[in-house]
Amino acid sequence: MRALGRGAGMAVGLVLALVITLALFGLPVGESLRLIVDGAFGSEAGLSRTLVRMTPLLVTGLGMVIAWRAGMYNIGGEGQFVVGGLGGALVFHLAPALPPALLNLAILIATILGGAAYAGIAGWLEVKRGVPVVISTILLNFIALQLLDWAVSGPLQESKRQLPLTQALPNEAMLQRFSRQTDLHSGAILAVLVALGVFGYLFWTRSGFRLRLTGANPRAARASGHSPDAIRMRAMLLSGALCGLAGGIEYTGISGQLGMGFSQNWGFLAIPVALLGGLHPIGVIGSSLYFGALFAGTENLARFTKAGSTIVYVIQAVAVLGFVGLAAWLEDRARKRARPAEGET
Amino acid sequence: MLEVRSLSKRYGPVQALDRVSASFLPGEVHAVLGENGAGKSTLMQVVAGFLLPDEGTVTLEGKSLPLGHPIASRAAGVEMVHQHFMLVPAFTVEENLALARLGSLAGTLDTARLAQPALDFARELGWSLDPKTRTGGLPVGIQQRVEILKALSGDAPVLIFDEPTAVLTPDEVDDLFRVLRRLRDRGKTILLIAHKLAEVMAVADRVTVLRRGHFVATAPIGEVNERRLATWMVGDLPTAIQPLDVPLGPVLLEARDLVVLGDRREEAVGGIGLEVRGGELLGIGGVDGNGQVELAEALVGIRPLRSGQIERRSRDPKTAATVGYIPQDRQADGLALTLSIFDNLMIAGTDRPGLRRGPLLRIGAARQWADRVVERFQIKIGGLSDPVSGLSGGNQQKVVVGRTLDAIPDVIVAMNPTRGLDIRATDFVHQTLLDAARAGAAIVLISTDLDELAALASRTVFMSRGRWTSTLLGASA
Repeated sequence: MRALGRGAGMAVGLVLALVITLALFGLPVGESLRLIVDGAFGSEAGLSRTLVRMTPLLVTGLGMVIAWRAGMYNIGGEGQFVVGGLGGALVFHLAPALPPALLNLAILIATILGGAAYAGIAGWLEVKRGVPVVISTILLNFIALQLLDWAVSGPLQESKRQLPLTQALPNEAMLQRFSRQTDLHSGAILAVLVALGVFGYLFWTRSGFRLRLTGANPRAARASGHSPDAIRMRAMLLSGALCGLAGGIEYTGISGQLGMGFSQNWGFLAIPVALLGGLHPIGVIGSSLYFGALFAGTENLARFTKAGSTIVYVIQAVAVLGFVGLAAWLEDRARKRARPAEGET
Repeated sequence: MLEVRSLSKRYGPVQALDRVSASFLPGEVHAVLGENGAGKSTLMQVVAGFLLPDEGTVTLEGKSLPLGHPIASRAAGVEMVHQHFMLVPAFTVEENLALARLGSLAGTLDTARLAQPALDFARELGWSLDPKTRTGGLPVGIQQRVEILKALSGDAPVLIFDEPTAVLTPDEVDDLFRVLRRLRDRGKTILLIAHKLAEVMAVADRVTVLRRGHFVATAPIGEVNERRLATWMVGDLPTAIQPLDVPLGPVLLEARDLVVLGDRREEAVGGIGLEVRGGELLGIGGVDGNGQVELAEALVGIRPLRSGQIERRSRDPKTAATVGYIPQDRQADGLALTLSIFDNLMIAGTDRPGLRRGPLLRIGAARQWADRVVERFQIKIGGLSDPVSGLSGGNQQKVVVGRTLDAIPDVIVAMNPTRGLDIRATDFVHQTLLDAARAGAAIVLISTDLDELAALASRTVFMSRGRWTSTLLGASA
């Protein structure tokens, strides 16, 4: 019940953030809201757009949840997303003749492995070399984008060698679409299933419990006989695997080929999505839906008013800052109330 | 003369200071000695104005000091050299020294002029310091010198040193003592918080001992010896009680020639062994920081051995030995304060058969188990989902003790399990440990509290610098 109340309170707060931002931009609030809601949910096409944008946000957001819950502040979702995609494109490049269904599966597996391996570098650097993950993952993002640039205009370039793109996947090797008119694909369902899986992992398995324990207090994990380093490394691998999978879903669900615009900052947006979702898998379903709808809705808004697409970023920023501030305030209040009745001399 | 009269300070159930009175003379190094939790830091923080006492007064040369106002205390002539350095690492030595003497925020800043008195003291003490180096990169011994110079530059008559030797090498300790004597000869009142007896004997002129918030005694150093001070610190050696009267089982914990490294790669445990039988409670005494933590962690298997062997055996030969560990600092090592009470109980629950199925947890069964532990150990909680940080210290410790001892592991290592607890909670933990021993567990109880060891242990050994020093109490093996 309490969680439900908090969710409702947050939804109200997010709508409020939206209204304030619109007002600040000097847009007619009522009309703008109608355009946004209409663009996000008003039609089959709008709903499809919302869910298509929600999907990569959800899966990368879950990747952030796993890492951050273990105390590994992975900022490298973008790099892991891209390297995952590259792993998938490499499979297609090497084995284009695989049966389509098998090819799709092999690509998804390769993206998982690619993302995990890439995040593993950052995990290894922190655990063995003391390089903070925050720093290494940021830097690895740049390397990944350069890698993408090099690959799509070099070894993985399409066969005509005209555009900086990889060879387009045949339609049969793409994720299934529900309608010819919209882009909605089965990856959206997969994403929600992954969210449920992450929930089960974190709260119903021993390994997930230890991951949360390590994030909350690594010394307590150590004192109970579990190596915080091994758990952190595992969390980074899982986190990267999810971000890579997000790349794979985007690749086989939407784009079908990689270019420099392969990731629309999904891996970066994953961080506000995860924070807004309270670092909880179910919460992240909600926050990724909100952001997905915001993207789809503001695209519609931009079509009919002078509002640029930048407004979506402003709203995001307002929402996240408001939320983080609120959470800090609540935590502070809870701490003051529960001041332990015990002193140190 | 600096005098404290009838100072009391209470934190929740813990009486940190109980009507403590003492006086400190100009021209003396006056050591304030006591175990952890004796109240020595609390006393000094009151004198320096960082803590407001519940009652009592502090006077300097007959004038009352304003209580609870550190800036006013400094202005009145009491300076404190903190144990945890209060330096700005990105600032230079000169800037840090100037910071301590910063006047108003108006006007221009002349760091060189403000730092000059302190640097003059440095020269006088024979310390060469480059005023332009960043303090963050300096060795701790040098950082401490900067900290001392900050205190000296105000020419305060009273200087308080809070465990200044904790971070120093022996050579640095010698130099610090030389400086303390020098300052004493200039007529300053030097208060030295300490818990190492040898250091007190080496440098102090007089010593005041506190125990559990009470004043025990003040004496000139010539009239005491280490043994008497130790007795004052931990209480009279009590008459032996034999609480455990169960037939001893087989040896469940056996360690030989243990060498264990500390966090700074120093040899913390230097080649000792032990043997504990089922039904036996081995007490390990000694002053903190003599390798007890490292020994405990090695015995439970979370700290690698440099050399030597440890064998842990099960009461039931058909199963593997189970180990329970009650770490010394429940908030740092025992609990994850941001997680719920349920999660904190599950720290021990994830390995319990019956609460898991392969990699999965059986949440329903785990909840029932958690409820049972809460009931059995009378932990006072609102609900299992509440954060553990909201519990009192005693109930937090019951969470740690309850989850660890509920299944009665074969080998139990408990380290200062009653530190900071009130009498009822202490008694509860003691009874639980004894019950575990009666059920056949082999227990190692590491404690700095002699009363506790005497009350519980089948036999007691003492540890100093990573080795056994003696076997004083009991002789069952």
